[in-house]
Amino acid sequence: MSGREAIALAVQLAGLALAPLLVGGVQTVKARLQGRRGSGPLQPYRELRRLWGRSAVDPIGTGPVYRAAPVAVGAALALCLLVVPVAAVGTGWPAGHDLLVVIGLLALARVAMALSAWDTGGGFGMMGASRDLGFAAVGEALLVAVALVASIPAGTTDLRAMWAASAGPDVWAEPGHWCGAIAMGLVVVLETGRQPIDNPDTHLELTMIHEGPLLEYAGRDLAVLQWAAAARHWVVLVLAAGLFLPHPSDFAGGLAALALGVIVLVVALGVTETWHAKMRLLRVPPILLAGTALALLGVVSWAAGGGA
Amino acid sequence: MALVPGAPVALSLRVQAAGLIAVGTAGGVCLLDGRSVGSGFTSELEPAVGVDPLSGLMLMMIALVAAPAAAYAAVYLVAAAHPRALAVLTGLFPLALIGVVTARDATLILGAWELMTLVPAAAILVAGGAHGGGDERRAVFEYLAITHIGGAGVWVAVLVLAERGALGDPAGLASAGTGVQTLVAVAGLIGFGTKAGLVPLHSWLPRVHPLAPSSISAVMSGVMVKVALYGMVRLLMEWLGSPAAWVGFAVLALGAVSALSGILQALFQRDLKRLLAFSTIENVGIVTLALGAAVILADRGEPAWAALALAAALLHGLNHAVVKALLFLGAGSLERAGAGRDLDRMGGLLRRMPWTGAAVLTGCLAIAGLPVLSGFASEWATLQALLGLGRQDAVGLALAGGVAAAALAVTVGLGAICFVKVIGLALLGAPRVPGAAEAVETPRGMWAPLAALGAACLALGVAPGLLLPALADLAPGGGGLPRGAGIDIPGTSLPTLGIALALAVAAATLLALRGRRTAAPAPVWACGQAVEPSLAWTSAAFTKPVRLSMWGLLRPEREVEVLSRGGVPDEVRHRGAVPHLIDGAVYAPVLRVALAGAGAARRLQSGSLRLYAGYLVGLVVLLLLLARTGVLG
Repeated sequence: MSGREAIALAVQLAGLALAPLLVGGVQTVKARLQGRRGSGPLQPYRELRRLWGRSAVDPIGTGPVYRAAPVAVGAALALCLLVVPVAAVGTGWPAGHDLLVVIGLLALARVAMALSAWDTGGGFGMMGASRDLGFAAVGEALLVAVALVASIPAGTTDLRAMWAASAGPDVWAEPGHWCGAIAMGLVVVLETGRQPIDNPDTHLELTMIHEGPLLEYAGRDLAVLQWAAAARHWVVLVLAAGLFLPHPSDFAGGLAALALGVIVLVVALGVTETWHAKMRLLRVPPILLAGTALALLGVVSWAAGGGA
Repeated sequence: MALVPGAPVALSLRVQAAGLIAVGTAGGVCLLDGRSVGSGFTSELEPAVGVDPLSGLMLMMIALVAAPAAAYAAVYLVAAAHPRALAVLTGLFPLALIGVVTARDATLILGAWELMTLVPAAAILVAGGAHGGGDERRAVFEYLAITHIGGAGVWVAVLVLAERGALGDPAGLASAGTGVQTLVAVAGLIGFGTKAGLVPLHSWLPRVHPLAPSSISAVMSGVMVKVALYGMVRLLMEWLGSPAAWVGFAVLALGAVSALSGILQALFQRDLKRLLAFSTIENVGIVTLALGAAVILADRGEPAWAALALAAALLHGLNHAVVKALLFLGAGSLERAGAGRDLDRMGGLLRRMPWTGAAVLTGCLAIAGLPVLSGFASEWATLQALLGLGRQDAVGLALAGGVAAAALAVTVGLGAICFVKVIGLALLGAPRVPGAAEAVETPRGMWAPLAALGAACLALGVAPGLLLPALADLAPGGGGLPRGAGIDIPGTSLPTLGIALALAVAAATLLALRGRRTAAPAPVWACGQAVEPSLAWTSAAFTKPVRLSMWGLLRPEREVEVLSRGGVPDEVRHRGAVPHLIDGAVYAPVLRVALAGAGAARRLQSGSLRLYAGYLVGLVVLLLLLARTGVLG
């Protein structure tokens, strides 16, 4: 393993621990913009520690699926985090670095959560799960369309190659890349479950999406699920910063640009949450479809320009 | 118990299963070794039989589905109405399928093709005969009518090919001119497409597949539609030579429409077997999508991508055959165990029927395309091929690839909802009706085949790379993909084994971290209300977000009736349904025109001798006139 690979692996492993910091960062930015002091970016860690010390809850009538769901979600997200490379250097580890695998693992986590909701049978969990899966069906089209635009410069969906091919200023001369970047913005909001699509800070049952199935969990189960939500932030923000924010092609510069890009995105999420109210649920799918259409427009634009 | 009459039936079915395994093994050897046995395709009208690697794949697929189905039938049929007749038909059906895939001349192809159509029809009539069977007779009539009218396309295509000497010789049709090529392409697509269940020729499929006994439904939905797709692969990859790009675009569009409308209909079904039948249309659509991409990419001069697309299509066909057999047999087990077929009246069966339940759970996750089960690998490969198409630098191709990839993604997403719904309604939660609470696990002879099919889903998901390169080699341009557990394509790879191991390690670590779980029992939170069975979520409730957000496309029907007594609302009645739009928009007008035509024809056929004499005189006069004016030469 070369030095760069060791550093990349260290950053990825650190990501497992740093992910909650991103959620804390968004909350802090939001608090400041709303004129509050907020509880600081370390608050998610305090919550995880508190939950870790508590016992779990088994809703009456649930079976093994309810108990296995947090483990499946946590494992899928941990793997996801390790599949997404940093700064074009992946470790030569056996799970590969393919973008479509990331999409598959996110789907695995989503389905595990929905199954736990079915196992408890509670109305709020089911409400959240059915909305989550319903939006994800359109969301997957958006993700795949964005994956297609992003894969045009590299000619492959291997994330290391995609990262390298989108480095430097040249790619920004292509209008298709801009279309992809805007569509990726929608992916970020959807997959992190933030306003205006979902609100992670509310527990008003009637509007919940991602929080719905979490209602029935407590203790370490809930801690794992909250960590997984944070890991989802890491995965999506690193993808967005790596594929659709400007970055140089060398490793050190790439890492610096990645760190900067993720910070910019965290601030952007905080600003959007403050500035934009949650939208009506039924308006979400049309907006996701519009994003898909925009990404496909980007594909056409690349093709009309003679490809990469 | 029917041990005495049942025993020979069971024994013969087990012998059949063993024989099918032998046939499948031989097929597998042909595929993996790239070996051909027996005759090649010939345009002579003399019976000829042979196996090449593509037929080998089909033999393997038939055995993978029909052998477990026969073993299952050995227990399942003993309690059925006419075990002996159904056992004969269960045995005959795979033989007809094997006949189609090993036939090497026009007579055998068409003969086996017709037999393949008739056997399940007979099985449905035999099984339904015991209890009235009016619905069965009507559905079988529709099945035979649609598949025979559509199936005429197969006759036209195969006979024209034989006449031009093109069955064995790819260059044969090239010399025949574009008119004949177009005729063969269109006739073949209609003929094979009808039998495969491609929208809009699919109307028979969801009516018939649920009616047959499960051991026959499994083979129908698992392999019969794949045999039709096999015909399409032969047509597109061999018989047509190098088909024009428009053929590819047509196939791509048919695939996308079938996949999307299949899964959209499946989503709203409550009858488990009907849901599975609609999902078959979806998966046939996905295979067709990949076939279309293969044709377009080959025409574009991208043989490596075309080979990947073809391999993805064949792999998805195999995966779907296995998983659909598992789910249809599983549906039969649930029905036999006393849970019925209505999803809203099941619940909690994973606890009551651990083996069957676990196998059905595996099958649902596999067909939903989740890593690392079989559906994920083949859908990944299909998506890669479509993305490869979308990266071409011609606007039409890029747009087609992009739209097709997005359509596949939506299909997979909706498929996840659909099968999460099946798992949730059937297997999880509390029993919804007393019948489900008393369901008992089936005998081992019925769950063991399910477990074997579940293991096959896992194996095909973890090691698809053992098969995919051999499938890519079937493409005219050759594949040249490396063989291994995972899938390696130019530029990227899907290391399924690595992902499976990493997931297992991560899950084990998390379990170890979580330590000994201490949990307090508590009621489910329902705002402090008591949780009652009437609060349980139904199929309609779970799919409501999709129904509302796709309102414009689905046109759901909804009726709310408030019954008031003395000005006080006393009772609210609600009825909702998602209509089958293609039936209404396409079939109803066709049916109206056909009935009107039949009415007019009946007026001509009045039975009056004088009128018939008049027809004769008129005909003679007409012929004389034509002869006189020189039109007849």
